[in-house]
Amino acid sequence: MRSVPPVRPPLGGTFRLLALSALVTVNVAACATRPPASDPDALADYEQTNDPLEPTNRVFYAINNGLDTVILKPAAEAYRWALPGGVRRGIHNMLSNLGTPPQLANDMLEGKPRRAGDTAMRFVINSTVGVLGIFDVATKWGYPNHDSDFGMTLASWGVPEGPFLFLPVLGPSDPRDAAGFGVNIALDPFTWIGGPGQIGWTAFNWTRYGLNAVDTRERVLDSLEQIKKTALDPYATFRSLYRQHRHAQIEEMRNDNRATVPVWFPAAAAQPSK
Amino acid sequence: MIHRRSLLTLVAATAALSAARPALAQATEKAAAFVKSTGDKIVSVVNGPGSPNSKRAAMTRIVDSYVDVDEIGRFCLGRYWRQATPEQKKQYLSLFREVLVTNITAKVGEYRGVSFTMGRTRMEDEDAVVSTIVNRPNNPPTNVEWIVSNPTSNPKIVDVKAEGTSLRLTQRQDYASYLQHNGNSIDALITAMRNQISQSQAG
Repeated sequence: MRSVPPVRPPLGGTFRLLALSALVTVNVAACATRPPASDPDALADYEQTNDPLEPTNRVFYAINNGLDTVILKPAAEAYRWALPGGVRRGIHNMLSNLGTPPQLANDMLEGKPRRAGDTAMRFVINSTVGVLGIFDVATKWGYPNHDSDFGMTLASWGVPEGPFLFLPVLGPSDPRDAAGFGVNIALDPFTWIGGPGQIGWTAFNWTRYGLNAVDTRERVLDSLEQIKKTALDPYATFRSLYRQHRHAQIEEMRNDNRATVPVWFPAAAAQPSK
Repeated sequence: MIHRRSLLTLVAATAALSAARPALAQATEKAAAFVKSTGDKIVSVVNGPGSPNSKRAAMTRIVDSYVDVDEIGRFCLGRYWRQATPEQKKQYLSLFREVLVTNITAKVGEYRGVSFTMGRTRMEDEDAVVSTIVNRPNNPPTNVEWIVSNPTSNPKIVDVKAEGTSLRLTQRQDYASYLQHNGNSIDALITAMRNQISQSQAG
């Protein structure tokens, strides 16, 4: 005879849910303790780390890590095992090409005409000569890719990054990037096509999200493994790396002040500077 | 009189500037040459024949001769360096060197077929920052900056920044967080580093 009851008592389930939500509430409310003013070194560290929600963030880090171990990482490994590098590169290029519209919008919002020009040329060249974006011909023709999203746009407008956040599913972030993530989705025309009744487009969008996740994860399989192995506190290492990487992306965008005069224009063609 | 004085100041300033400019150019040139030759040595070890053990030994020699391991180690311990006893400092630095060499050599296998091109060099305070682009097969090109201290007298690498992420800063924040969550105990850090090394040697 099986000892497991066929139907779980409803009350027990409710209690469990209540207990879980209470636990989550407690965790969400938990803050890192601010060191006293009598310890200026510790205080300076605390302010530099700028992670007042650290206990909560660590809970989400642990959850994401668990999800990654059982879902995303095996999926990325299977993806790498099943498809040769060339095919994976083609898929990556195609996904990147599909992401061009929000990238272009952000280039413009950042007030970077040359970057917007690069993005537009990339879209035209790669969608046609590059066969629906599979081949990145544009890079060879002098229009390299660059990073551009609404989080970077907000930074270019002077919005501060705010404290560190580790978001469920999405991973490392901050208020500026979390807001940027939402706006970036809204800036994507693919978000607005499809909808109820149009199974085809809905399926296309979700396939694209899924493939994007697997592709991104596959590309960092080795480096993430390496970081987890070598860091004494992987959470703190990811926090540091995420911020440094974002700062570098934003710096690069800020410093890209190439002149808008086209290279073929006779007078100014002498110094194509970057 | 005033004119003459300001003229003198001007002449002195110009002289100082023109003396400083060649020194600056010399520093950046020397730093770039230093990075080029060190980079060539690393590439020849990574791409060359030889067992993993012999490559590890060769990398250790490169790290010892061209990287200021002690300086990076001090930087990574941050404010805890001042609190450490001389014995702790000694233990920490010797472990730090092993961790650094282990982390670098762990990647040697992945980097087969690596090559690099030199970019610009600029001065940042006393250090020279040498930009390079590292190319690996099947990977997008990576911007790597090498921070070189004392470029004219005794050049040593004190940091490597890949796509804007600094090796020593990341390591420092990792250690700082570990120390904060382990009662600020430097001995705990030393034990953790020791475990890490024995694990990587076992695995």
